[in-house]
Amino acid sequence: MARKQRGATAHGSSKTADNGDGGHAEHFSLLLESSDDEAPEEVTFEDSKTQALRSMKDALDTVRREKEQLKEKRRRRQELFQEQKKRRLLPADVLEEIDSSSFAKKQKPSDDKAEEQQQEEDDEEEEERGKTQKKRSGKLAHARNLKGNYTVATVKERSSATFQQQVAQDFIQSRLYGPGSCRTTNNELLSLQNKKGRNQSAAVQFVKKDWASKERAKAEKMKKRWIHKQQVHSC
Amino acid sequence: MGEFTVHRVRFFDYMPSAIRAMAFNPRTERLAVARADGAVEIFNFADNYFQEKVIPGRDGGTVEALCWVGPRLFGAGLNGAITEYDLENLRPRYSVEAYGGPIWTVSGDSAGTMLAVGCEDGTVKMFEILDETIRFQRNLERQKGRIISLSWHPSGALIAAGMIDMIRIFDAETGRATHRLLVERGAGASKSREVVVWSVVFLSDHTIVSGDSAGKVQFWDGHTGTLVRTHLVTKWDVLALAVSQDESSVVAGTSESIVVQFQFISSTVGRQDNEWVRTRTFKNHSHDVRALVHTETAVVSGGMDTQLVVRPLLDKVEKNTQESSLRKIAFPHRSLVCCAKKAGLLLFQFPEHLELWRLGESEGHGRAGDSLPVKRKPEKLIHLKRKGDDHIRCSAVSPCGGWLVYATVSGVRLYRIQHDNNNIGVTKVSKLPKSLCSAHQLCFSSDSSKLFAASGLSSVVVVALDPLECKHLHTLRPKSGSRQPVHLLCVSDDGKWLASANTDCEVHVYNLKKMKLHCKVPVYSSCPTAIGINPVTSNLVTVHADQQVFEFSLQQKEYTEWSRRLQQRGLHPVWLQRDTPVAHITFNPRNPAHIVLHDVFMLCIIDQSLPLPEARTPLLNQMMLRSLPEAERSRQSHAFKICKSFQHLLSMTLLDDQSLVAVERPLLDIVSQLPAPVRQKKFAT
Repeated sequence: MARKQRGATAHGSSKTADNGDGGHAEHFSLLLESSDDEAPEEVTFEDSKTQALRSMKDALDTVRREKEQLKEKRRRRQELFQEQKKRRLLPADVLEEIDSSSFAKKQKPSDDKAEEQQQEEDDEEEEERGKTQKKRSGKLAHARNLKGNYTVATVKERSSATFQQQVAQDFIQSRLYGPGSCRTTNNELLSLQNKKGRNQSAAVQFVKKDWASKERAKAEKMKKRWIHKQQVHSC
Repeated sequence: MGEFTVHRVRFFDYMPSAIRAMAFNPRTERLAVARADGAVEIFNFADNYFQEKVIPGRDGGTVEALCWVGPRLFGAGLNGAITEYDLENLRPRYSVEAYGGPIWTVSGDSAGTMLAVGCEDGTVKMFEILDETIRFQRNLERQKGRIISLSWHPSGALIAAGMIDMIRIFDAETGRATHRLLVERGAGASKSREVVVWSVVFLSDHTIVSGDSAGKVQFWDGHTGTLVRTHLVTKWDVLALAVSQDESSVVAGTSESIVVQFQFISSTVGRQDNEWVRTRTFKNHSHDVRALVHTETAVVSGGMDTQLVVRPLLDKVEKNTQESSLRKIAFPHRSLVCCAKKAGLLLFQFPEHLELWRLGESEGHGRAGDSLPVKRKPEKLIHLKRKGDDHIRCSAVSPCGGWLVYATVSGVRLYRIQHDNNNIGVTKVSKLPKSLCSAHQLCFSSDSSKLFAASGLSSVVVVALDPLECKHLHTLRPKSGSRQPVHLLCVSDDGKWLASANTDCEVHVYNLKKMKLHCKVPVYSSCPTAIGINPVTSNLVTVHADQQVFEFSLQQKEYTEWSRRLQQRGLHPVWLQRDTPVAHITFNPRNPAHIVLHDVFMLCIIDQSLPLPEARTPLLNQMMLRSLPEAERSRQSHAFKICKSFQHLLSMTLLDDQSLVAVERPLLDIVSQLPAPVRQKKFAT
């Protein structure tokens, strides 16, 4: 069997080298030739034994390596989950505060600053809903740190009912405002009304002071630049 | 007369919600309007189109269709449940899950026994209407595709359902689908797009009228299932259809903001070969028309531009009368702004949050019509988000600016506000009495010691304010036992009287020192839209939906002399022809003879010491008076002084320091934030 394999590979390489029309015929003849002429090669018992042992060892090695890899992966995942779980729980001092309070609805002491009060209310909300938003502070040893700041938040449970509702709303939205609906902007509608009205006036973005502020700022800059250029040219 | 510095407030970003569905009850003459945020409003068409009741919506609760069954109102939305509304307590009474996915349409049969809903999963579900609830009966044959619209045949035996690309006729007894009417797709590029039958109407002679997304209104024969006539009305969608009671006129509303009328008449006079002919076109909207109702005398339309338009048909009403005028209802008929008079703060009520602003300051004096420079800009002090999913129903701030309260369908929340030099602190008062579970109207006493909340059965709950725990003091009940909700509450400045008005047109006055009912004002046929108690004379002034003004003396328990004179003379015709109701009454502390009122388009000061206007002299004579010399002026001036400089007024109050606060919301600002309209190519643009 080894010989056949070796024979086949040898002839395979020559086949590719040939690349001719008589490939098939040649291939057959070559095979026959090899099987007729050559004597079976000698393979010693030790050689085959060592080879077999080697292959077995290799197989065992791969299995062991795979097991180790899997273990490693599992360990990493477990660590990640524990880390996340730790971060999900509120900091120890807030937990203490909650524990020490009575069972009835307690009144938080009023602070003077509105922000602090809002934060406390937010905390109350957080413990009610179990939602946290925290920035990723340190780097985890085994995790990749993607560029930029990002927050981790638990996703609110979405039941199938809300999914269906979303699909229905998307349906209406796409039929009325989706592609092919030929819509324009309110600005254009009002500007056309201005143009065709009894007292004709300019388009709405020029009439109303606080509309299209970005475009207005850009236009101002352009105007200044143009004036400056004119002055430079004239000088 | 008086000079006032006016704070012109335009930073209230009030944004109304689009109208999604409407239903008219011809027996009680009430129109129910469902908005995109889930709120349901009831308009009384018999009482000058007054917006009587508002049921607030909730997050995620859309209403796709409304339906009256007798005096009961049912609504269904994309959350898959059918809701019955309690019109006495202004909340949803109960919800029944239909288990068919989002519900697109709901319709009751003419007998009032069955309710059919069209669902996303392709089933038409039949519910039996019982006394206290509705109960699922059975499904009709399930179809492959969502059921977008439904219509019962007047006999109750057949149902026409509009789906995608077709209309199905069901037999209501057996539940089988008998006919299938295939609707043609649009021409050209829209051939590849499926056509959605947005609306169907089943007439008693078995004609089916359908409006679809290809812009056609088609008339079908229901017996044979064949197409009789097609009218291509618009390039965009036909979104709504409505038929008149006598089935001689059908109106169709489109995305192009036009409403087209078809009438069943013969093309030549005298002959009897009637057919459906397109007659009138109404162009009263700027954005899509999504809901239509055909009453006996008018066509009512509403859509994405949030305005409710009532167009009387000129062949049913007399021309050139008050009845035949076009009505556009764009702003709510109740006040969304509360002013803390002593502290100079304004509270704005939005459906999902409250904003508390401090008014700006200016200095210097000027002549009439000048703009004074602003020394300190108005600033937003508090932005308070509501807890839970329900929208805010009513809110109030105390005159000293120290207390803030709001109520939703599920509860009342009270907050204490602390002002420390530059800091504002908001604390919630957690211990509230159990009787304060829900309120229809809220009002603080002028010394900020008590809170008045109007709750069920027209009663008023009085609560003593305390930062730690508020105690229930008393519940004031009217003797009439009316079940209608209270929509107006007003307390006098000296803390002695409390007046409440409910939608049964009753006004009750309570004596707060003795904590009992003092008297009930004689019932007038029209609902009161604003009430106020004069701080000096203790007279109760009421203005009603038909623009009548009354003054009632609380000490003598009878109408005052001035009020009798006004009724004898009659109000000026221009005053009676105004189409927006008076939303707020306030008084001038320096001059007890002044009554200051406003509606959306005008501000009026009634001076009781001046003579009443004659019917033939012009009512709006302020500009003319200014040009006259002093002597002439005193001869020509009359009691009603109207100013139209500020529009559109959402609220107007008089502060203690003789300055007026006018909260305006220009219509242009609202239109600019609406969704996109269709692109219409007009000649020469």
